[in-house]
Amino acid sequence: MQTLSLKKLFYFEKTPLNVVMAVTTVALLAAFMAGAVAYILHGHHVYNVTRQHPWGLLIAMYVFFVVSSTGLCIISSIGHVFGIPEFQQIGKRAIAGAIITISSGFAVIGLEIGHPMTMLIYNVLTPGLTSAIWWMGTLYGLYLTFICLEFFFLAIKVNHTFSKIFGICGLLVGLAAHSNLGAVFGFLVSRPSANGVFYPVYFILSAMITGCYLIFLMYGFRYKMNFPEKISVMLVKLSKILGMLLAVLIFFEAWKIITALYGDMPERAETILHAVKHPNFWFGELILGMLIPFMIILLSNAKAIKATVYASISGMVGIFFMRYDLVHDTLLYPMTTLKRSEYQVAPTFVEYFPSAAEFAIGFGGIGLALFLYYVADKVFNLDETNQH
Amino acid sequence: MARYGMALNYKNCINCRACESACKEENGVLLLPDHYRIWVGVKEAEGQFPNISIASQTYHPSQCQHCDNAPCQQVCPTNATYYGEGGMVMVDPTKCILCTYCINACPYDARYVDNRTNTVDKCTFCSDTRLAAGETTTACQATCPTKVRVFGDLDDPNSEISLLLANKEYRQVKEHLGTKPKLFYIL
Repeated sequence: MQTLSLKKLFYFEKTPLNVVMAVTTVALLAAFMAGAVAYILHGHHVYNVTRQHPWGLLIAMYVFFVVSSTGLCIISSIGHVFGIPEFQQIGKRAIAGAIITISSGFAVIGLEIGHPMTMLIYNVLTPGLTSAIWWMGTLYGLYLTFICLEFFFLAIKVNHTFSKIFGICGLLVGLAAHSNLGAVFGFLVSRPSANGVFYPVYFILSAMITGCYLIFLMYGFRYKMNFPEKISVMLVKLSKILGMLLAVLIFFEAWKIITALYGDMPERAETILHAVKHPNFWFGELILGMLIPFMIILLSNAKAIKATVYASISGMVGIFFMRYDLVHDTLLYPMTTLKRSEYQVAPTFVEYFPSAAEFAIGFGGIGLALFLYYVADKVFNLDETNQH
Repeated sequence: MARYGMALNYKNCINCRACESACKEENGVLLLPDHYRIWVGVKEAEGQFPNISIASQTYHPSQCQHCDNAPCQQVCPTNATYYGEGGMVMVDPTKCILCTYCINACPYDARYVDNRTNTVDKCTFCSDTRLAAGETTTACQATCPTKVRVFGDLDDPNSEISLLLANKEYRQVKEHLGTKPKLFYIL
């Protein structure tokens, strides 16, 4: 840990990329603040969520952040929990990223949950043990504690025994928490398109893919594409892992869609058909999120790590669409199919588009994550040290 | 112990929607979009002109089904949703954190966010307004001009609703989900 003055903290080399990142971060942070103020003044009225579509962009962004966190935790564990030497160097940076992304997720969800203080009190006093949200929230709280302790023993008071113990605890609790987040959607018996085992498993898989994308982005930015040999070796191996994970994801998705469409089961088939025909799926999720990174890895035999860094940008945009569609597609089908007045048309798929405040808070959370990462990179030495 | 439910002679419904007004008046439901505890669904007539089946146009009064196995209760992280007296599904606004998971989980679109308390609200079978005062009917039942609704104790074999269900065929909504709803549509 380094002692820094404010002047040193905010000093950075004025390269075009750094300036663009700084301006983006400040703009997104300002958007987050503006959205938060709008929410504090007007409550849920500044969001476009309705009775028929009660969850929106903020839930999607919360999932986006916690998926990122769990993914970074899982990928970092390859090195300092499972002991694969090439990956030990990413431990500190990945765990710092995991803490930052889950904190940003909590900041976003804090502005979505109507009564966060009531939640803290009654989560303890009258816990709903059959609720996936209760397990997810409680386990994520525990997970954050473990990874903070892990980071403490990795970067501040270096102790490899303790960092490994807390790393294992963080990994196990993170996996449990994250599959419970999948169960939040998978347990919805009222929503046939989401109900079932798919989401709890898919969440872990897509978290690992998100973790790989973020590692590529963090190292691409850290070394400005001039990777030292040791980093290149690690990234080539990570690229192979990413390629395999993407292949599994494409396989999973294909069978999920085929199973949903097969037999034309009421509600489920028409919902999934509507979802896959939308550009959010075929362009956002499929092309940006899966095919571009997969093809680059496949065609380069996982050696084009610079191209994979750029593909990771496309991949993260795709991951955003996966999270957005997860929420929106789950809520697409109207729960009451009869119109409530002679002068209406019969209910059809539920429409939703996020409000300005939702965009400001949701995407502003990315600014918060970027800012915290910048500070962490300045305050802590996130590169591998000789002690490691 | 009582187990309250409601039978609906829905074919008698004339879509006057007096029940909606009575519910709002009795329970102080705000006159805002999305703020309704009960509603009347309109099923359009089938067929093409001139062969339109007039009999196929029906009205389906609906509300919270007060399920015996309520998905909204299972998913509530703070047990704000609970089974109250008579097996009614209730919401304790002091415990509700407004995560709206219950709104997602309800297969019947029976829940909404109350603007005043900023918590989730729904039909209570008028338990805190009429039943607590000794009444034996709900506001929607009392006001209905064609006697569509019959509210009562399903566990009492001599109650009007039990006798009705014993002698008539009925259907329930989305019972394949295993929710065990307590609204019965008389056929």
